[in-house]
Amino acid sequence: MSQRIIFAWVWALVVCLLVVHNVYLWFGKGIAPDTDILALLPVEERDPVLQQAFARMVDSAQQRLIVLVGADDWAQASRAANAYADVLAPHPALLQASDSMTDPRDWLVTFQPHRLALLTPKAEADLHSQPKQYWTDIALARLYSPFVGLQPGAWRDDPFGLFGRWIQARAQETPVRPREGRLFVSDGRRQYAVMPFMLRVPAFSIAAQQAVMPLLEQARQAARKAVPQVEIVTAGVILYAAAAGEQARLEVSTIGFGSILGIIVLMWITFHSLKPIALIMLSIGVGCLGALSVCWLLFERVHLLTLVFGASLIGGAQDYGTYFLCHRIAPDAQPFDSWQLLRRLLPALVLTLVTTVIGYLGLALTPFPGLRQMAVFSALGLIFAWLTVVFWFPILVRAGTLRSTRVAQWWAISLERWPSLGLDRSSLWAIGLFVAFAIFGFSRLGVLDDIRLLQNPRKNLIDDQTKLSRLLDTPTPAQFYIVRGNTAEVVLQREEMLKQRLGPLIETHIISGYHALSNWVPSAQAQAARRNLIDRTLLNDNGPLKALAAQIGENGEWVAATRAHLLASALPITPDDFLKTPAGEPWRHLWLGEVHGGWASIVALRGLTPTGLAKLQHADIGLDGVQWVDKVGEISLLLGRYRKTMGWVVLFSYLVVYVLLYPRYRSLTWRVLAPTALASIATLALLGMAGQNLQLFHVLALMLLLGVGVDYGIFLHEHLCRRDPVAWLAVGLSALSTLLSFGFLSLSKTPALQAFGLTMLIGTVAVWLIVPCFRNYQLAELEGA
Amino acid sequence: MKSWSVAFSVVLMATPLWADAPVAKIQSMLAQPKVLCGHFDQSKQLTGLKKPMVSNGRFCVVADRGVLWRTLQPFPNTVRLTRDEIVQLQGDRVAMRLDAKQEPAVRMINSVLFALLAGDLGQIGKWFFVDGGFHDNGWRVTLKAREPALAKAISSVALDGDAYVKSITISETSGDLTRIVFSKIHTGDAAMSADEAALF
Repeated sequence: MSQRIIFAWVWALVVCLLVVHNVYLWFGKGIAPDTDILALLPVEERDPVLQQAFARMVDSAQQRLIVLVGADDWAQASRAANAYADVLAPHPALLQASDSMTDPRDWLVTFQPHRLALLTPKAEADLHSQPKQYWTDIALARLYSPFVGLQPGAWRDDPFGLFGRWIQARAQETPVRPREGRLFVSDGRRQYAVMPFMLRVPAFSIAAQQAVMPLLEQARQAARKAVPQVEIVTAGVILYAAAAGEQARLEVSTIGFGSILGIIVLMWITFHSLKPIALIMLSIGVGCLGALSVCWLLFERVHLLTLVFGASLIGGAQDYGTYFLCHRIAPDAQPFDSWQLLRRLLPALVLTLVTTVIGYLGLALTPFPGLRQMAVFSALGLIFAWLTVVFWFPILVRAGTLRSTRVAQWWAISLERWPSLGLDRSSLWAIGLFVAFAIFGFSRLGVLDDIRLLQNPRKNLIDDQTKLSRLLDTPTPAQFYIVRGNTAEVVLQREEMLKQRLGPLIETHIISGYHALSNWVPSAQAQAARRNLIDRTLLNDNGPLKALAAQIGENGEWVAATRAHLLASALPITPDDFLKTPAGEPWRHLWLGEVHGGWASIVALRGLTPTGLAKLQHADIGLDGVQWVDKVGEISLLLGRYRKTMGWVVLFSYLVVYVLLYPRYRSLTWRVLAPTALASIATLALLGMAGQNLQLFHVLALMLLLGVGVDYGIFLHEHLCRRDPVAWLAVGLSALSTLLSFGFLSLSKTPALQAFGLTMLIGTVAVWLIVPCFRNYQLAELEGA
Repeated sequence: MKSWSVAFSVVLMATPLWADAPVAKIQSMLAQPKVLCGHFDQSKQLTGLKKPMVSNGRFCVVADRGVLWRTLQPFPNTVRLTRDEIVQLQGDRVAMRLDAKQEPAVRMINSVLFALLAGDLGQIGKWFFVDGGFHDNGWRVTLKAREPALAKAISSVALDGDAYVKSITISETSGDLTRIVFSKIHTGDAAMSADEAALF
C-alpha cells in the first residue's frame, strides 16, 4: 500500500463529498442559477451615493410590468384590456394590478396651502416681464369663464391662474390619464389602455418566470380573441430575464451535450474502446462537480452565463486525460507501469495546468463579477479534472489496457509529413506572406465597447420597450443627474440651477422634460422669492389686483382681504412633508435623502435621444454638487478601458509563461510559445478581415488561448527527444475537443460569449496547424543524446 | 407610476351602462340638430365677491365640429373647443391654447362640454349619474359626476330644457355657482353667422 493508493482514496473521498454536496445543492436546497444580467456588471464601490442612486432607479423598475392594450377606438381597447386583465385577476400572488389612481383632489389638497410658492418657470418669467393689463385680462377671463372645473379650486384662491398653470404642468409630467376606470394614453392614432402590474415574485426567479410567462401569453390570447386587431405592448424586467434565462439554458444544454457527444465520437474513433471514454467523462464530471461546489461556497450563487461558459470547459478538462491516455498506447511506453509513465508526464501536465489557469486568471482580473465567476469556475473545473487524472488514471489504466488503432497510428505518423520552418526559401516566403496577411487584417480591425455585448435581448422586446417609453414618455433609468449638498435645501437649490440649464434643452427638443423633486417642492429660497415676487408684482397697491377690483366694482377693503387670503396660502413646504403624502409616493425614488453625511437626489430625464447625450453630459459643467451619471456610457467606457488593459496583460502573461517554461525548455522555450503568439496574431487578422470589431471579449479569449495553445507546444516539445508521435495525437484530440466546445460557444446569442467562442475556435485551429512547424529535431536529438 | 392618477379635474370616468326610462323620454323630446346657435346670459356667484359676475354672448354647437363660446359683454372673449384643442381668443390674440398632444384630457373635456350643451344625455350618462324628472312642458335633470375627483370639484350640475337645453346650473364645492340661461335658439345651417363660421 503505497502513498499513491492513499492519495487515490483521499481523492475518492473528496469526490464523494462533491457528489453529496451537489446532490444537496440541486435537490436539497433546490438552487437555481442567477439570470440577473446586472449581476454581470461591476458594482460601483467607489461612490456609495452613486450606487444607491442606480439601485433606486433599477429597483423602482425591476418588479414592474407594464402592459399597453391598443386599438383604433377606446371601446375596443377597453374591451381587450378587460379580457387581458381577467386572465391575470385570479393570480394576485403573482401579478397584482397596481391600481394607481390616487385621488387628484387629495393631490390638490396637499398643495393648496402652498400655492403661492408654486410657479412654473414660464409663469415666473411672465411675472417679471408681462404688463399689468396681461394679468387683469387673465383674471377677468377666468372670472367670466363658463368652464368651471378647468381650473382647480375657487376663483379667489387663484385669480391669476398661476397655481392652475403649475398644476397643469405637473399633470403633464406624464401623458397618461384616467379614463373610465382605466389609465389611458394615445399616440393620436390609436388608443391604449395602460395596465401597470406589480410582480409579487422576484423577477429573476426561474420559477416565477415559468409561472408568469405562460399566464401573460394566455392573457394576450384572450385579448386577441376579444378584439382580433388589438395591439399589445409589454415591458418589464421579467420579460428580459425570462428570455435571457431561456436562451442561456438552451445554450448550456447545446454546448454541454454537443461537446460531450463530440468527444465521445472522437475517443471512439481513436481508441475503439469504451474505457477511455468512460475515463475522460469521469475526469470531466469530477471537474464540473468540483467547479460548481467550490464556486457555490465562494460566491453563494452561480450565474447561468457562468454555466454557459463553463459548458465549454468540457473541451479543456479532457486535455490532461487525453494526454495520459495517448501515451498509454505509445509503443515505447509499454515497458513502464502507469505510475512510471505518470512520473514522466508529470512535468508537462503541471506546466499545462499552470499556463491554462494563468489564462483564466486574466478573466478574474476584470472588475466584472460575472467574468470573475466564470474564470474561477473554469479554473476550478480544470484543477479538479487534472487531479482526477493524476490520482486515479494510473490505477485505472494499466500498461496494455489500451491498444493503438489504425486511425490513431495514421494520425500520429502524419506529423512527419508536416512542414517545419527552417532557414530555407519556402519558410521565408511563408513568413513574408504571414506578415502581409497580419498587417492587412490588423488595418481592418475596428473596436467596439458597447454595453449590448453583455446582453442582446430579442428584437421584439426592444421594440416593445422603445414603443412604451415613447408612448408613456418615461425617463431612462440608466442616465440621470445626481445632485448633492450638505443640506436638503442646498440640494433643492442646486436642482433649480440645473433645471435652468435644462430649460433650453427642452425648447430645442433634446429632452422632453425632467422629473425632479424640486418640481414639486421648490427650495425654501425659491419659495420665499416667489411669494415676494407675486406680492410685489400682482398684489401691491398699484398692481393688477387693485386694477381688477376697480373693474369688478370692489373696494380697497376687498383688495386687502384678497391679498391676505392669497398670502396665507404661502406656507413653506419641505420634501419630507411632500413625500409623506400620497401625491409624493411616485417620486420617492428621486429623493435619496440623507446619505453618507450629505443629502442627495436624482434628476431624471424624459424623452432622451442618443444624440442628446453629449449635450446633457456637459449641462452640469460649473454646477457644484451636480453629477451626470450615464451607466450605459460608463460600462462602455469600462469595457473599452479593460480591452486596452487586458491587451497589456496578455502580453505580460506571455512573459510570465516564458519565465515559467524556461527552466525546462531553455533554448527551446520560444518554440513552445511562438505558435500560440502567431495564432493569436492570425486570429486578430482574420477577425479584422471578417469585419469584426475588436472587443474586450476577443482579448480575454486570447488570454485563454495562451493557456490552451501553450499546452500543445509543451506536448510536442516534451517528446521531441523520443520522436514520439503520440504527442501529436494528444494535440489533435485536445484541439478537436476544444474546437467542439468553443465552436458551440460561438453559436451563443450573447455577443460576448460568441466573440469569445469564435476567437477560441480560430485560435485553436491556428495553434494546432502552426505548432508542428516549430518543432526542432536537431536540437531535440542533441538533448536526448 | 402613481403620477398617472395626477389628472386634470375634468377627466372623467364611467361605464356606459346608463339607460333609464325618464332619460329615454327626454332624449326623444330633444331635437339634437346638426347646428345650434343662440344667446346666453351667464351669472357667476363667486366666494369672496359681493356682486355676481354677469356676462352674455353667443354660442354655437356644431355636431362633429365642436363648441364656439363668444362672450360679448362686458368684454369680448372667445373660446373654441374642437376635437384636438381648446383655444381662447382675446380679440384676435390667442390668449391660451391647449392641444390634445400636450394635454390628453382635452378630447374628453370637449366631448363632455359638447354633450352638456347639446343635451346629449346618452353621452352625459357616461360621465354622470343622471336623475331626471318632468314639469310643465319641459324636463329637468340633476347630474352627479361618476368620477370621484370631479365629484369633489363639482357638487352638482342641473340641466333644464325642452327640445333644447334651456339652462345649466353648476355648483362647485368651493362655493362658486354658475348659472347659464340660453335664449334665441336657432338651428340649421343659417343659425351660424358668417363671422362665427369664420372663427371655427
